[in-house]
Amino acid sequence: MNRSLLLILFAVTLSYSQEYYFYVAAESDDTVSLINFDGETTTEIERIPVGVMKTEIEGPHGLTVDPSGDYWYLSLAHGNPYGSLVKYSTDTNRPVDKTTLGMFPASMQISSLTGLLYCVNFNLHGEMKPSSVSVVDPETMTEIKQIQTGVMPHGSRMSPNGRFQYSVAMMSGELFEVDALTLEVNRTLNLDKTHNMNHKGMYHSPVKPTWVTPHPLKPKVYVAGNGSNEIIEIDTEIWEITNRIDTGKGPYNIDISSNGKFLVATLKGDAKTMVWELDKKNPSVVSNNSSVTHGVVISPDSKYAFVTVEGVGGDPGLVDVIDLKKAKVVSSISIGKQAGGIAFWKIEE
Amino acid sequence: MKKYTFNLIFSALLLTTATMFSQELVVKSNLEGLTMSVGETFKPTSFAENLKGEKIMCQAVIYYNKKGVFSTAKAVTVNRGEGTIRANEPGTHEIVALCIGQQGQRLSRTFPIQVDFPKAKEIKITLSASKVYEGSFLPLDFEVVDEMNFTRKNEFFQLSTDSDNIKIDAFNNVKAVSPGKAILSASFDEISTSLTIDILDNPVEKLELRASLDVARTGDVVSYEAIGYDSAGKLIEGLPFSYTFSGKAVDKSNNASGLIMNDGRFVAEVIGDYMVSASIGSSSVSRPLKVVGRGIEREVLKVGKGVVTDKHTSDFWVFEGVDGRDYAVTGTWGADGTSFFWDVTDPTSIKKIDSVKVDARTVNDVKVSQDGRISVISREGASDRKNGIIILDVSNPYDVKVLSEYTKNLTGGVHNVFIDNDHVYALSGSQRYYIINIKDPKNPVEVGMFEVGKEGQSIHDVWIEDGIAYSSNWRDGVYLVDVGNGIAGGSPSNPVAFANYDYATGAHHATFPFKSKSTGKFYTVLGDEIFPDGVDENNPNITAGFLHFVDFSDLDNPIEVAKYELPGQGSHNYWIEDDILYVAMYGGGVRIVDISGELLGDLFRQGREIGYIMTGTSDAYIPNATMAWGAQLYKGYVFYSDWNSGLGSSKVSELKPDNSKANQYINKTPIID
Repeated sequence: MNRSLLLILFAVTLSYSQEYYFYVAAESDDTVSLINFDGETTTEIERIPVGVMKTEIEGPHGLTVDPSGDYWYLSLAHGNPYGSLVKYSTDTNRPVDKTTLGMFPASMQISSLTGLLYCVNFNLHGEMKPSSVSVVDPETMTEIKQIQTGVMPHGSRMSPNGRFQYSVAMMSGELFEVDALTLEVNRTLNLDKTHNMNHKGMYHSPVKPTWVTPHPLKPKVYVAGNGSNEIIEIDTEIWEITNRIDTGKGPYNIDISSNGKFLVATLKGDAKTMVWELDKKNPSVVSNNSSVTHGVVISPDSKYAFVTVEGVGGDPGLVDVIDLKKAKVVSSISIGKQAGGIAFWKIEE
Repeated sequence: MKKYTFNLIFSALLLTTATMFSQELVVKSNLEGLTMSVGETFKPTSFAENLKGEKIMCQAVIYYNKKGVFSTAKAVTVNRGEGTIRANEPGTHEIVALCIGQQGQRLSRTFPIQVDFPKAKEIKITLSASKVYEGSFLPLDFEVVDEMNFTRKNEFFQLSTDSDNIKIDAFNNVKAVSPGKAILSASFDEISTSLTIDILDNPVEKLELRASLDVARTGDVVSYEAIGYDSAGKLIEGLPFSYTFSGKAVDKSNNASGLIMNDGRFVAEVIGDYMVSASIGSSSVSRPLKVVGRGIEREVLKVGKGVVTDKHTSDFWVFEGVDGRDYAVTGTWGADGTSFFWDVTDPTSIKKIDSVKVDARTVNDVKVSQDGRISVISREGASDRKNGIIILDVSNPYDVKVLSEYTKNLTGGVHNVFIDNDHVYALSGSQRYYIINIKDPKNPVEVGMFEVGKEGQSIHDVWIEDGIAYSSNWRDGVYLVDVGNGIAGGSPSNPVAFANYDYATGAHHATFPFKSKSTGKFYTVLGDEIFPDGVDENNPNITAGFLHFVDFSDLDNPIEVAKYELPGQGSHNYWIEDDILYVAMYGGGVRIVDISGELLGDLFRQGREIGYIMTGTSDAYIPNATMAWGAQLYKGYVFYSDWNSGLGSSKVSELKPDNSKANQYINKTPIID
């Protein structure tokens, strides 16, 4: 009798599996895909055409979902010449508003403190000059300010309390901390091993940082050193580098699970993903199902990492789902070309 | 213990504030109802208030101009360091106060701010005619200059007069009723002015209206000249005639429409009988004009196709190879970086002969050097994000070879390129173009760069002819740049801009220079690219925009004189040769248009279309879905690329269209050919 009851309870538990929903941008197809993962299978629910010029590639790059889950935001890299930010309803996946940003707007996040959106203007146009972080009020969709940072800024992520925005400048090799309230740069940190900072001319940072993510529970941020093949740990209390961890080739994007246990980094040059339990010494490396691994987001329950893989030329973009405990790809789905930006929307029972 | 107590109290305070923020709140601010003067600075204070009127302090308040950060938002600026706003321009502007609660809950409100116009310093009424004759209306302009030297054109201030010989209506139309002196008065903002007008006797006893034609075709520009004589039969110089027209179309459901200019030029759009009139005061003269069809329609036959069945096709170029045979190259869009090469020596039998695949998703543009040896293709969506251009050896189009890749300063993606005299002109990041010497095509070298140099500068295309680069710069219009012509001392390494024209829509996408064989006039033909409803993958796209014909005969004073607009379809790329326009109008196919003679007004409505080609095919990537990309006249054949179909060729016949299969209820209107 007791055994039967247990079996029924087990079956009921199984039937209430989690449904994960997230958005992925396909940069060379001008589409965004809404994807569902039910614990076993990944399904593309909808492919949403984005942009306004049918015969021009507008390059959907960054994605984020607001804390309420009512809207998702997309940065379109190319414009005339400025890129733009488009606000979509998660209810209809139709655009509701738009504003112009800087050159090649890329990654972004909304502060839980100010409700403002902070988006880096990557400016991938070969110009070795400082670019900026655009601050946008998502309610009015007004660009309030462009805060100058470094050359080719990328990886905009907010501190857990929403007070600070972090980004790294890929070519000038710097970490920037922006005060979300005063809208000013609060602190900068040179990430290169040498201090030969020369922002004039064609300085190319050997670290070539491409992403920064704050730890959800500790006063640390982690930077992807795309050029130096390392993850750099920075203590934000003392504002110093406290560790450099070797990785595979070309770490690109990073996410840390909300329980603070897992750090996942995409290894762009290796077509692999690094899954690192932060309290263990040796990370696992997972092979992706195509080349040019790009973005990553971890589900809020800290179980899965959803990783985008661009492919090359006519290859479709991919999303690989990695079970973090198993450090293994458990599902994969093809979407539009050059899958890049990814944002988690919701979990449903 | 003390620390815990403090934390408890602090937490309680935060909880209280958080609870209060969860109530219905509104932002209160001294911005409400604020009126400022230009140059004035104001320090706003704002807080949240609940329905009981209880005040809740914000952790921080962020103020911003609702227009954003660009130059359009300079009317009111925010100084966050000082916590102030400053009024810079008159008008009504919007400032948003964003209150950040102690727990981070946000609350915002938009406040309209009135910035008063400075007090008027001077008001002006200007009469733009040298002579005013009885019976005529006065051409007047109005202007206010204020104490800060802001000028307001056509500010409405009601005119008045004590003179009996002029009449003023409620809209400030002033009619000269009888000869003599008249005084017009006006006041505005406690400033007054007056204008004295000499109204002359109408000296005209006899009028004559001369015309360049009495029978014209639709689209022909007819020049009228009115001449007045006094009672002695003497010619009166400098009479300010007004020209008008009326008419009756052959088609009873149509209007006899056209365009008449102040200088007496008239162009009719439809077949019919017109009456052109010139008047001065109460005297007028008319002259009939018979308008017939142009008789230019020709049968256009599709003769060959090179279908691309698995990808979208982008731009193309047809060229004579070093072996004397004829070839074409086509790009692909949103695909795998392939370009196709075709033998088009026999346009009725187009053969795919080679392809080149590079690391890209879109090869938007393809061009071939004048000697047929080098091709340059553009890259967007390269996996290493370096994009740039690829230089190809096409001296044997059956075996195309990659010579080099060039990416310096072109990493944001190259959308369009042009080759001219060993130089490639390559667009960079939608902002500027770089000029690259390819004399040694394996080792390209950057030698120059051109950009408009304005905030938000943008570019979509560049075309070179006779050492002049014509760049299409969206809202900044066309720039004519000397890159070797000599007109402004420019060269590829020293490009010098010498002329510019822009227009209101700001959608300037492509330029083709056009020297009219029939008139000798020099035009730039400027094309729009507009998708008014954005992209709809599941339905045919709505396109808009048209070609603007700008008379550039006087480089310092270009004048937009005509347009070609196909109703319901937008323009893309085009070609002009022998006074004939071949224009890809997306879903409207390729349109072949007679642009001979003087150009004035709406060319489509003037019946100038010779014929058209619907470029879709049944065996295409997307079957039967015409989406014409570009057109090129080559050795008597009209070649074209179609986004959904690939490459095609057609021939404009000498024959009139075969109407034997036309709808029996359509009667063609008569023409004189």
